[in-house]
Amino acid sequence: MSLTVERPQAELGETKTMNLIGAITEALDEELARDKRVLVFGEDVGPRGGVFMATAGLTEKHGLDRVFNTPLSEAAIVGAAVGMAIRGLRPVAEIQFADYMGPSFDQILSQAAKVRYRSGGQNTAPMVIRTPSGGGVKGGHHHSQSPEAYYTHMAGVQVVMPSTPYDAKGLLKAAIRGEDPVIYFEPKRLYRAAKGELPLADYTVPIGKAAVRREGTDLSIIGYGGVMPDAISAAEALAEAGVQAEVIDLRSLMPWDKEAVLNSVAKTGRAVLVSEAPRTSNFMGEVAYSIQEELFDQLLAPVIQVAGFDTPYPYVQDKIYLPSGNRIANACVRVLNY
Amino acid sequence: MIQPFTQRPIQWVSDQGELLQDLPERYTPEFIRELYRHMLRAREMDRKLIPLLRQGRTSFYAQAHGMEATQVGLALACRSGHDWWWLYYRDHPIMLTLGVPMLQIVSQIMGTASDSCKGRQMPHHFCAKEYNVASISSSIASQIPPATGTAMAQKYLGTDEITVCTFGDGATSEGDWHAGVNMAAVSHAPVMFVCENNQWAISTGVADQTASETIHIKARAYGMPGYYVDGNDVIAVLEVMSHVADQIRSGEGPAMVEALTYRVGSHSNADADAEKNYRTREEVAEWTARDPLERIEKLLQNMGHPISEEEKAAMVGEVGDEVAAAIDEAAASGTPDWDLMFQDVYAVQPPHLAEQEAYVRAEQEALA
Repeated sequence: MSLTVERPQAELGETKTMNLIGAITEALDEELARDKRVLVFGEDVGPRGGVFMATAGLTEKHGLDRVFNTPLSEAAIVGAAVGMAIRGLRPVAEIQFADYMGPSFDQILSQAAKVRYRSGGQNTAPMVIRTPSGGGVKGGHHHSQSPEAYYTHMAGVQVVMPSTPYDAKGLLKAAIRGEDPVIYFEPKRLYRAAKGELPLADYTVPIGKAAVRREGTDLSIIGYGGVMPDAISAAEALAEAGVQAEVIDLRSLMPWDKEAVLNSVAKTGRAVLVSEAPRTSNFMGEVAYSIQEELFDQLLAPVIQVAGFDTPYPYVQDKIYLPSGNRIANACVRVLNY
Repeated sequence: MIQPFTQRPIQWVSDQGELLQDLPERYTPEFIRELYRHMLRAREMDRKLIPLLRQGRTSFYAQAHGMEATQVGLALACRSGHDWWWLYYRDHPIMLTLGVPMLQIVSQIMGTASDSCKGRQMPHHFCAKEYNVASISSSIASQIPPATGTAMAQKYLGTDEITVCTFGDGATSEGDWHAGVNMAAVSHAPVMFVCENNQWAISTGVADQTASETIHIKARAYGMPGYYVDGNDVIAVLEVMSHVADQIRSGEGPAMVEALTYRVGSHSNADADAEKNYRTREEVAEWTARDPLERIEKLLQNMGHPISEEEKAAMVGEVGDEVAAAIDEAAASGTPDWDLMFQDVYAVQPPHLAEQEAYVRAEQEALA
């Protein structure tokens, strides 16, 4: 896997190099220090530091009343976060794997996503649900799925997924400081593989804004999360053949940056959409629909999707399941030759 | 002394209005009359609002008839505007007793512009921020884990507030119920779980809901006290709930109370023929004979302070006027504006919702 190469984000000032999970830990640490209303909890997130060590050292530093283990119950974890948020705290709940969110689904659907609307704005649930998602770590189907589309279909929650350490920290801080419930998916195969420069100064990354990872004029590759290093490597391979692909990282799926996508595709006339989630009802279907609705006359080729497959996530064949750089590059060639 | 895990529901007053235990000092005839007035107000509110259905001015009505003692006793056992409430949809008498204005309750039921929830929820899904009543959800038992969370926050913040979480017997079958109760016990959160056991979850009776002998004994498995009270005896309810609330407030951790009562009316307009469909007239008759209001009338009679027919008629007339005025005022406020549909989904309206709102605006302007 190629490493994510961080493009300078305007003026970074003084920086340090970090991996993606380190950026998450640092965001939590800083927000815990900044705001006493922030609590961090979930299964095993306390003294042990979580199964991926995202919360390592935080209990020791901030106390067991602020960073703690809960019973093994996703419904209780997410539901309690809703009640805490309504009472004025800023809970950050960890669900050990996105695959385990099932028991908390109703708490997200019926409570977190709805309290602001159904109460006429009298109750609000500013809270974050962090969860590792995606494949590529030999986790089998209960440790590899990409369920983000379910949550984009549910008005009232925001959905984000970083692919770089810079975004991981900035988006998490924005999520904690924001006024809405945010589901924060962490592409677990990039936890240690993605490295980049982070400013020493405090910053946030606004929810709902995409990032242009590479500028180009011939086609647009649009993705998010764990597929981004492969999307960038495909673009680099195409560049060697003289094709300039623009690469866009959505970063946020709800709300998503339609303007950035349309601007890019209006310029290039071609779009390849990349996601590792199963193809049917994949979030990229919404992106494709918007492109054809707004830019039908300007398209030089059909919009193509490179996605996972409509199977449960396979264990042994996970490298075949995931969109590879090669598969993305082939899709690009297909739209270029249309 | 009030004890958890009793074999039979704790009672203070018999069905015939006889005292079974000495009355604590606060139960003067005036105070007992006050309890009666609260229950009568709830009963009459129901009676006056059900016709809204026939008039097509609301689409759903969840009667609380028969459950007034449980709801009034519970409301008065806690601190209005101080403690927090995660209620279920049949709890309008709790809100009324806490002091939530009749207009606010009626407006939500009618979905008028005066509804503080902006006409977005089906009737009986209230919210009253100023009384710390959290928004009610239809999804059964989904309020249990959030109630635990609110109590965990109260503990973390070091307040002397408690959280009260109510549900029916049906809710105790849901996974969220077990998850929320367990987490409350583990985190020692100041929450009072109250099962208003009215014995029917629409058409499923409590015997088809659980194989447990009672609901409150489940508390034992989670490591908290479980109290069993006659839910049609307002004095027993007030005494037990006050005791439990005090224990929780003093840092004893969560507790559960099962109030055994009965839903006399249908679940909603959807099962208006309840007696014909799923329960016997004999069963209903047995429970209406244990009516919580009549019990207090008999008690006051036995104490030598009877409520006269004129006094009762005056109380009924007063509530009737109050409800009629609330209906008129709610109706006069008109219908909520259509564009409220696109507000409050998020703190700040995102571009796709602005786009969708603009689409409807153009459509509405073309129709105007």
